[in-house]
Amino acid sequence: MTELDIGSLETEMNRGFLHILVLSLLEKDMYGYSMVKHMEVLGYKVEENTLYPLLRRLEKNGWIASKWDLTEDRPRKFYAITAKGRALRAGLLDVWKNQNRVLDEITKETPHV
Amino acid sequence: MSDKLEAYLEEISHYLAGRAEREEILSEIRSHIMEKAAEGPGEFTDAAIERAIASFGPARKVAERYLAESRPIIAPAYKRYLVRYTSLLFALHAALTVLAVVLKKELIVFPLLYIPSVSVIGALMYLPAAFLTDLGAVALVLYFITQSGKDIQLPWPKFGVDLDEFKPRPKRFWLSRIATAVGAVIMLAITDFALYLFARHQTIFFVNMDWTDPRPLFSPGAGRRLSLIVIAMFATTTLSLLVKLLTRSRWVDVVSNVVSLALIGLVLTQPFDNLFAPEIAGKILPKLGPWLKYTILYSLLFVALMIAIDLVKHIVIISRRKLAKSF
Repeated sequence: MTELDIGSLETEMNRGFLHILVLSLLEKDMYGYSMVKHMEVLGYKVEENTLYPLLRRLEKNGWIASKWDLTEDRPRKFYAITAKGRALRAGLLDVWKNQNRVLDEITKETPHV
Repeated sequence: MSDKLEAYLEEISHYLAGRAEREEILSEIRSHIMEKAAEGPGEFTDAAIERAIASFGPARKVAERYLAESRPIIAPAYKRYLVRYTSLLFALHAALTVLAVVLKKELIVFPLLYIPSVSVIGALMYLPAAFLTDLGAVALVLYFITQSGKDIQLPWPKFGVDLDEFKPRPKRFWLSRIATAVGAVIMLAITDFALYLFARHQTIFFVNMDWTDPRPLFSPGAGRRLSLIVIAMFATTTLSLLVKLLTRSRWVDVVSNVVSLALIGLVLTQPFDNLFAPEIAGKILPKLGPWLKYTILYSLLFVALMIAIDLVKHIVIISRRKLAKSF
């Protein structure tokens, strides 16, 4: 397995994880750049040009909502999670927890994994 | 506002043409880059903006992130139909082209096909363009089906031997190489012998096998031209067999087929009148003239058709392999 293989698979794995991460972060109103910085502080590097299309997709489906803030020097688009988004997040977290549980079980059964 | 930033956004905008939310997307990217440039080391400068742009990624890649959600031009499941339908349409096109050459008439199947009245050489020039037209027409239909978003079950016409189900026997490397080498040696001998005959008698076609008193089949001019064309055909086959000792690439067959088709086309352009040597013409032409002419013509067209089918087969197999790699 080369680094290139891991890179492309990691991108695929991150796709689902990034949904949960963004929906979790947006309990508090945030704009795109502040989300990138916050994730970096947490030790997760997100490709900037991946985040914005994801935010657009989440908003299109009504899972998050946005509004422009023009009061500061620079215009900023703030996002916040909706009730529908919270329900989705709960469902995704269940999936993720179940996947973790399955992996834990396998690791216990076969210690060299 | 930095010119670099505006140029960058303009480029993204170009790739996002036609999307209703384009301005909104650009505003958000602009906002992000300005934020990042302001927080970087040093002053809020053009250099800082350039760094922020570089970090955001190339314009085309950025636009593709947004476009990835839209439908593909042709749905992946339909890609194999592109090859299959194009092959069928082109086979029909090629058959009608042969008919147009024989009948010396233009043929129209409105609005799908228009085949002008062409000579054999014209037909050989016309067929590659016809193939591209057929490919474009099929791609257009599949594009509209994909964009409709409907689950349409397209018919899957099967050939006599479906390439999908065709499992080639495991090739024995050395056996196939030896067969090719033997073929190459035989063809080399035939080509050499033909060249020897041509150098001595200016023709390779005779009506007797008596080398002390050879009697040419064709008149001197026609005999020379036809001999050169046939020797070129032998040489092409010899060369392709020799190259196939080094590589099994199907492109060798494609090139060999194209050259052979062009040479048959050259044969067909030769005038039939004054073709045979006077003593032969005097004996056979009064009785068999028209029959002989059409027999030669149809035999050559049949050979050309077989080579064309082989050519299409190789192109289809090459296209399928490229398609399989792209998945």
